[in-house]
Amino acid sequence: MSAIETIPAPPTELTSDAYVEKGGVYWYTPTGLDVRDVAKSMNAVGARFITITTYELPANRGFRLEYHWDLCGRLLGFNFPLSGNTIESIYDLCEAVDWIEREVHEEYRIDFIGREYQPLLLREGNVCGVNLQKEVLQ
Amino acid sequence: MSYEIPMGPYHPGLEEPYKLDMICEGETVMDAKLHIGFNFRGIEHLAETRNYIQVIALMERVCGICSFIHTLTLCQAMEKLTGLTPPPRALYIRVVVAELERLHSHVLWAGIAAKLMGFKTMFMTCFEIREKVMDVLQAISGNRVNYAMNRIGGVNRDIEDPASILSMVDALEKEMVKTIIPIFTTSKTATSRCAGIGVLTTEKARSLGVVGPVARASGVGQDLRKEAPYAAYSEMNFDIPVVPDGDVRARLLVRALEIMESCKILRQALTKLPPGEIAPPGDSSKFSFITGTATARVEAPRGEVMYSVSWKEGARMPSRVHVRTPTYVNMPAVRFMVQGARLADTPLIQAAVDPCYSCTDR
Repeated sequence: MSAIETIPAPPTELTSDAYVEKGGVYWYTPTGLDVRDVAKSMNAVGARFITITTYELPANRGFRLEYHWDLCGRLLGFNFPLSGNTIESIYDLCEAVDWIEREVHEEYRIDFIGREYQPLLLREGNVCGVNLQKEVLQ
Repeated sequence: MSYEIPMGPYHPGLEEPYKLDMICEGETVMDAKLHIGFNFRGIEHLAETRNYIQVIALMERVCGICSFIHTLTLCQAMEKLTGLTPPPRALYIRVVVAELERLHSHVLWAGIAAKLMGFKTMFMTCFEIREKVMDVLQAISGNRVNYAMNRIGGVNRDIEDPASILSMVDALEKEMVKTIIPIFTTSKTATSRCAGIGVLTTEKARSLGVVGPVARASGVGQDLRKEAPYAAYSEMNFDIPVVPDGDVRARLLVRALEIMESCKILRQALTKLPPGEIAPPGDSSKFSFITGTATARVEAPRGEVMYSVSWKEGARMPSRVHVRTPTYVNMPAVRFMVQGARLADTPLIQAAVDPCYSCTDR
């Protein structure tokens, strides 16, 4: 069984064991989830990519990225804690992710491995992270 | 020989501050690059410095046209963290103002599109009707742009005389049926300028994840009012117009049909407005939040808006507010819409997305 096949199909009924509803999102949050496997799994069921929400953890403990997808009006959520500032890009799997990966890169200095960036021009000068990251090394 | 034409960030052909670098061969656009961020305001960061009352006023200013939608989405997320449920009358009032805002947005867009087509008379007609929509919004809220209607657990102002609002809606619909919709859908000026240009195929629309009228004009029938109903939409009877052509004319048709559906929803909401309170009883300035993150989505005039709000128990200010706006998702599609188009058509093609850079540069 490949890694992608271990991700259960998203809920199409009101109840699901694997996905837990909390705060308006159906979360699937096992540890060690791979962002590219999730993207492949979502593509396979025809889910629509919505956005990435970034949280900077206190005391320089890194970041938490929440990836949101929509399936038939149901919002699905996947959590990816980052101890550093890198995560694999899913741009080659899902072109809808392009601008939000670029935005997160510019606002938080997070690098999405495997892609090139054209600047979105959200940043000031050449320093990434000035807009939203709490502590920026100039 | 190819050459590059920069358009924007301040250009008579663009209504918003962004830049389109177009690579052309002759009069044909071969490719384009988009640049945003010319008015980036850092509102998400500012939100972390505002308390639960102030943050509503702040987020109302993310967008001047769909200001109600932004506070509605934010309040729905905050209601999940406070455990408050708005009373039924408040939910109906939210539907009424949301649909009036959709009318306002679509008529404003129709006016701008008419101007870009060179149809100045139509531009004036649309803006005259838009004024009347704003009169209705003013009659309800006292304001013409930022309505300050939403609060956590309900709305701030009641609709005391639904019958008078209903007669204004009837008059609006009559004018739209008489002038805007027939001219936009049948006149040769509109058809010749819009048909077959700026095409976004259904497959590409799905791949780019576009939302709102742009998606529905490319044959993707998604609308959160039906798929994930909020406020009182589950009690409304309406259709979602979908046109498969994917060109500028299809976007025009979808918005024209949505104007009619909005009038239908408004009539139902105003007729069935339930009695009762518009907000929960008690002190309206004190709320207690649970620790956690809540997410809400709403179908704005331009498409899906999403708010993720994170709070710590006992805190007065959010620890994170993330806003996903529809223009942010729709604008990357412009690159594909202008490929192969005539240079002279590009202002109308990008305008057909109904871009909002107030939202994008939040």
